[in-house]
Amino acid sequence: MTSYGGYQRTGYGAQGGDDGGGFMSASQQGSQGGSGSGQRNSGDDTLRPVTIKQLIDWKEAFPNADPAIDGLPTSQVTLIGQVRSAAQQAVNVTFRIDDGTGQIEVKKWFDADKPHSMPHFDTDTYVRIYGRLQTYNGKHHVLAHSIRAIVDFNEVNYHLLEATYVHLALTRGAGAASGNAGQQQQGDGDDSMFVDGGYGAGGGGGEGGTSGSVQARLALCSKNARTIFSCLANAPGTDGMHLTRVASATGLSPKDVMAGAEELVAQGVIYTTQDDETWAILDF
Amino acid sequence: MEATATPRITCAYLNSYVGRNVIIVGKVIQLRGEEALIDADGNITAHLNREAHLLAGNGAQIIGKVNPDLSIKVLSSLDLGTSVDYNLANTVVEISHQHRDIFADN
Repeated sequence: MTSYGGYQRTGYGAQGGDDGGGFMSASQQGSQGGSGSGQRNSGDDTLRPVTIKQLIDWKEAFPNADPAIDGLPTSQVTLIGQVRSAAQQAVNVTFRIDDGTGQIEVKKWFDADKPHSMPHFDTDTYVRIYGRLQTYNGKHHVLAHSIRAIVDFNEVNYHLLEATYVHLALTRGAGAASGNAGQQQQGDGDDSMFVDGGYGAGGGGGEGGTSGSVQARLALCSKNARTIFSCLANAPGTDGMHLTRVASATGLSPKDVMAGAEELVAQGVIYTTQDDETWAILDF
Repeated sequence: MEATATPRITCAYLNSYVGRNVIIVGKVIQLRGEEALIDADGNITAHLNREAHLLAGNGAQIIGKVNPDLSIKVLSSLDLGTSVDYNLANTVVEISHQHRDIFADN
């Protein structure tokens, strides 16, 4: 929700909000308004790793409220657990899944004409589930898109850590979480599986959270790029600064400014405004 | 519903969970008939049930009740093969106790 709002503000509001880009602004607002009134926000469809306790603990804020965990709308979830029981009906199987934090029912529909498509797992097998969180008669269950057996047990532990990471990123801001996970991520050659800053922005982690992720991305840039970034950060207004002004303010050559700005654009911390040689800070 | 939570613990937590059902992940050190010695950040004696098919040297997950003498009465056990990262398992136990709001309560 918030991340979407941020995109809207910086992407369109900054340019089209006044008089110049009226047409563009209007058409964009129109399509965004339309998707909003359709109740589904793309943010709702973020796939979230969860523990079963999180799914059980979720309480409806009001009747028929959309599921929300840690205050963030959550419909698509992934979880792990052991199959405790399976009850087969005509066109679906209901599994009772236990991950040690609680138990929840997971339903998987199958094609009745193709009996072999019915999922089968031995009792106590660890499975990975991707599905949608649903409520029926006040009881929560997961409608599974996919269930597969877990071959490598370490996936269980990895999932529990991932669920904790996302929970912390949402409740404490991405900055705090990346601080905790920093050591692990360095080992992975910064090959993070998460969309950069996505959780921090979405969770309303506040300034601390987002500036943390910006700092992390700046750390990957060259010294020139960081100089340009701090120059742009002090630029007045929302139209950004032109190449020549950046060059004179930083004392760098236009070529260096161009190269540094390209680095920053690639990191997604600045964007081009009026033309290809004018940049502004992408302010979350 | 809530009573079904089985906290993940290691040897160090046994004291606090007497009488409760827990999950322990560790390496099977020794098998003696219906008794197994499992290393989960410290050795734990587990009294196995008939269905147990554990292998010495392999990883195992046991779910069971903590006896007053800090041994485990196993209700369910699972052989995990040889590629279990025990440091990871122990870390998850620590993490799950630090963040009880999304794992089991106390």
